[in-house]
Amino acid sequence: MVVLLQIRERIRQFYFKYDNFVVPVMKFLLALIALIVINKSLGYSAMLKSAPVTMVLALFCSFLPLNFIALLSVGVVLLHLYALSLESVIVAASVFFLMFLLYFRFSPGDTVLLVMTPICFVLKIPYVIPIAAGLLGTPTSMASSGCGVIAFFVLKNIRNSASLMASNPDTETLVEKFRYLIDALLGNKEMVVFVAAFAVTILAVYLIRRLKVDNSWNIAIATGALIDILILLAGDLKFKLYLSVAGIIFGTVFAVLVAVVIKFFVFNVDYSRTERVQFEDEEYYYYVKAVPKNSVQVSAPKVKKIKGNVPESTEKETRVKRSSLRTEKKDAPEYHMHRSVTGKETSVSRIEREVASRAKESRERRRNS
Amino acid sequence: MLNESRIKLMTKMAAYESNEGKKNMAIGTFFHGDYISKEVIKSIIYGTVAYFVVVALYVVYDFEKFMTDIYNMDLMQFGKVLLKRYLILIVVYSVITAIVYAVRHRKARKNLRIYYNNLRRLNSMYRKESRTDDI
Repeated sequence: MVVLLQIRERIRQFYFKYDNFVVPVMKFLLALIALIVINKSLGYSAMLKSAPVTMVLALFCSFLPLNFIALLSVGVVLLHLYALSLESVIVAASVFFLMFLLYFRFSPGDTVLLVMTPICFVLKIPYVIPIAAGLLGTPTSMASSGCGVIAFFVLKNIRNSASLMASNPDTETLVEKFRYLIDALLGNKEMVVFVAAFAVTILAVYLIRRLKVDNSWNIAIATGALIDILILLAGDLKFKLYLSVAGIIFGTVFAVLVAVVIKFFVFNVDYSRTERVQFEDEEYYYYVKAVPKNSVQVSAPKVKKIKGNVPESTEKETRVKRSSLRTEKKDAPEYHMHRSVTGKETSVSRIEREVASRAKESRERRRNS
Repeated sequence: MLNESRIKLMTKMAAYESNEGKKNMAIGTFFHGDYISKEVIKSIIYGTVAYFVVVALYVVYDFEKFMTDIYNMDLMQFGKVLLKRYLILIVVYSVITAIVYAVRHRKARKNLRIYYNNLRRLNSMYRKESRTDDI
């Protein structure tokens, strides 16, 4: 555990130090994974499938806002479908258009879930999404993950009927193909069960993790996993979906493991980024780099020095500096455990306290005078 | 002269201005009712477009049936059904929009109030500094 805590601390410090590079690299990787998954599962356009195009598009995403990855993924999907048939483009474009029009205008930040959900489905780990979204997101993530599930099943239907879609395009078959896709979408009970299971799981995980009880995050993960399994199995029995029970159980166990990792890296850890701001007054221009500071009240550990026959009274209390804690593995747990309990005190809150105390002092001075 | 606490406050305010503050200031320029009305009107427009897309999909889906029945069907009745569904969609969507944006407006105003308090603090710091300089 000590080693893990140290690794986490190092990752956090690495992130603080190089956040200018870490964030674009993360965006690049997310975009690259999204594009590779799209190319592998649809891949009807040879041009879009090529590695240089994929790399250029992913690089493009690395310095643009996160929402752009969702927009780009949708664009690539539609171009792939255009290479297959016009009907599939109309159906997929209408679904995406309705999603963006009705939902994503409320919470544009949630478009990441729209990308992540189909990716997780393709990678056979969809059960990670509801638990992770419940831990990291808000109840609105229910709608976002629902949109992601719908997007995945729309594309799955199109891929399953690719041979039909690619057949000769005359007017009669055009309407038939269109009807086939809409029927497949509206009559898809599996999709409905997944949307319901994910929505209920996200809500349950979110509500439980916010409870003021010990281990609320652990309880939320366990409860969310159980609810997810139960709803999926109930849906399977009710609608005879023939879902793989072993797949659901092992997938959920994997999701729990991922959730534990997420909890370890997110729970009570501040990843607020370095701010670079510019402002001016009458006398100066200020170019300020404000680095988030966790002023941790490190409890001074007692270090016993045992030298041969020297009596115990020669115990020496040494205040261990933060930097030296990294090397002294023995002392690390005390520091870290204490840290996780005390939480953080940012420089901002200290400024506020300082300003408040000064205001109080000046008020008292005025009163006295 | 450089005043450390003043610079800290200014940094905090500049960070707010460059991130969340931009959005909040745009929201803060509206009165509560005006802001919600603006967003509800936008929602009505978006909802109308979405409804037309769904109706168009429905027409294409049942294209043959629709074309054969169009001369026999009661167009008034058909229009009423479409209008009723449209109104239900718009009312529900508008209510959701109003709730969401009311909460957002309240939050933005709260954050702006803190920001303006900080501005006042900064102003008083400047005044104090100028007084000490005069002395």
